[in-house]
Amino acid sequence: MLNFQNVWLIAKREYLERVRTKAFLLTTILIPVLMGGGGFASIFLASRTHSSAHIAVLTAETPAAKIFGADLKHELESGEDSQMKIDVDDNTPAVRAQLDQEMKAGSSHLAGYLQVVPAASASERPRFIYKARSVSDIGTDTTLKEGIKTVLTTERLTGVGMGATEIEGLMAPVEIETVGGNTLVAFFAAYALFFLMYLVIMLYGMNTARSIIEEKTSRVFEVLLSTIKPDEMLAGKILGVGSVGLTQIGVWMIAAAVCGTLFAGSIPGMAHGQSVLSAAQIFFFVAYFLFGYMIYSSIAAALGAMTNSEQELQQLNLFLVMPLAFCMLCLVSVIKNPDSTLSRVISLIPFCSPLLMNFRVSIGNPQPWELALSFVLMTLTLIAILWIASRIYRVGILMYGKKPNLPEILRWLKYS
Amino acid sequence: MPIVELLNIRKVYDTKVAVEGLSLTIEPGTMFGLLGPNGSGKSSSIRMMIGITRPDSGTVRLFDKPFDRSALARIGYLPEERGLYKKMKVLDQLVFLGQLHGLSASVASTRAKVWCERMQIADSLDKKTEELSKGMQQKIQFIAALLHEPDLIIMDEPFSGLDPVNATLLMDTLLDLRKQGKAILFSTHRMDQVEKLCDAIAIIYQGRLVLEGSMKSIKSRYPANRIHVHFEGDASFLSHAAIASAKTYTGLAEIILSDPHAAQSVLAQAIANGTAITRFEVLEPTLEEIFIETVGENVDA
Repeated sequence: MLNFQNVWLIAKREYLERVRTKAFLLTTILIPVLMGGGGFASIFLASRTHSSAHIAVLTAETPAAKIFGADLKHELESGEDSQMKIDVDDNTPAVRAQLDQEMKAGSSHLAGYLQVVPAASASERPRFIYKARSVSDIGTDTTLKEGIKTVLTTERLTGVGMGATEIEGLMAPVEIETVGGNTLVAFFAAYALFFLMYLVIMLYGMNTARSIIEEKTSRVFEVLLSTIKPDEMLAGKILGVGSVGLTQIGVWMIAAAVCGTLFAGSIPGMAHGQSVLSAAQIFFFVAYFLFGYMIYSSIAAALGAMTNSEQELQQLNLFLVMPLAFCMLCLVSVIKNPDSTLSRVISLIPFCSPLLMNFRVSIGNPQPWELALSFVLMTLTLIAILWIASRIYRVGILMYGKKPNLPEILRWLKYS
Repeated sequence: MPIVELLNIRKVYDTKVAVEGLSLTIEPGTMFGLLGPNGSGKSSSIRMMIGITRPDSGTVRLFDKPFDRSALARIGYLPEERGLYKKMKVLDQLVFLGQLHGLSASVASTRAKVWCERMQIADSLDKKTEELSKGMQQKIQFIAALLHEPDLIIMDEPFSGLDPVNATLLMDTLLDLRKQGKAILFSTHRMDQVEKLCDAIAIIYQGRLVLEGSMKSIKSRYPANRIHVHFEGDASFLSHAAIASAKTYTGLAEIILSDPHAAQSVLAQAIANGTAITRFEVLEPTLEEIFIETVGENVDA
């Protein structure tokens, strides 16, 4: 039976010692600033970045081919998403040989050349052969495809007798007005919450492990163990470090709620006083953080008890990072289709729920039973992990020196 | 009422037998020395005494009751591996450790200040632990073990790493506590300290008890059969029949007698031979010699 007085004392010490540090203040301020800054910067850059590669377009020597070449040059040099530099030339072996030579020698900034091979009949499309200096230049590849498609469509439409202004109107991008908020802002908020969750779970999980190693290397353990039980230490530690995390998140959430509400009016599509984050988002963020933190920090505690130094811990970090990295990999498919069967299944995996189910709360429509089930599954996982972790911890904290191997750790589970 | 009673304790780590068939008793008001070379099982025995590890077999009794965690509040423990929270302030640290032993924060704080005064580190109370010297940290840990006024004080190698002044300060404190009726157990491999301080000792070697009892009874088992003679002139008295062996240096003979009662007869012989004796001393065997003798025997066995 745990003595809660002892658990409380351990947790209190852990909390106060951590909250009083400058590092706590620094991360509280810097993490949202860096994340917000980084997020906006990447969105801003993504919307402003155009392919600016220098490319040669080689066409056949027919008038139609020449017109196509000129149109493509115009489209790629001054189109919607493109600022390329285009040379148009004849598609002859001599020209190709010269360009090959230039690319090989690196004497020009040419990124590649595109051969336009005329179609055999009028109803077919011409063939396009692109020879690039770097085959992995996916940006240029995409821009080329888009540009060619636009030019082909425009030419075909002109061919059926449509006027230039009419075509331009048809080809213009579509704008959708979202009622009740700004999709981009809402998505950005959800995205930010995802990374924040990733960061705090990782950070505080590692902090738990680090604090155990610190006690192990400074050998404070022995004194503590002469009055309290390892389980009480473990419980106190997880609660103490977790409360620090919760405090930090609390500060962020209040700040986000205040700022979001204050500045909401200046964001297009949002009414004044409307918050960027909903109450449900904040509630689930805190709830999922609690469970996610406890699951990961229990694993981290076991890892900490197994190792003797930070360096050794780094080698075992894999066990913490892998499940989190898996969530990152799944993020794309969840963004594309938040309520697909795949998204629903992976977001129910207890190691992923804190990140992915929470993300779905923001961008999808998870059913109440899914949310409830995720908490049930996380609770069961947590109990299992705590059972294992407390056993490893009990034996591991008294082991100095040698790093245990797997059979030894399995034997620890049978102890006590 | 014995404070500590170990009965046939055994502990095995994987394949290594750390402690085997260990039994010992510590009475209140005694200074008990646990002796043994490094790795002989001293720390393992102590850990079992205070429930950090559990013996594989045998029983531990504390304060005349079967082992129970509630008894731990009456024990003060200074582990061999010293450890304190490096970043914590000394006073906070002492209060925290005191609270873990069941004191209220205010009582712990008051006592911590009194003790720091007594141990001459009062001006460190507000410093971080990592700013202090090793010796000062050790004194703080010493205080931490005593803050809750334990009835049993267990100290693993308490004097190691201390300068003579501080070691004496610690010893005097321990003697004071014994006077108050506390039972004190300390382990060491330094025999001279044990000889000065302890009422009772136990020597363990390779996990087994090789010698246990009060200092007096152990010494009486090893009779005073050593003589140091400072002399000038004729050394022929060294051929006395009762002398088992003798080492002679210039003007000094270290003699071991086969018959401990023959000392006077050796002296008489020397005087009869006309040897000038400047000093004649009958010696008890030192603990170190007893230790080497018992352990040595055991190695052979």
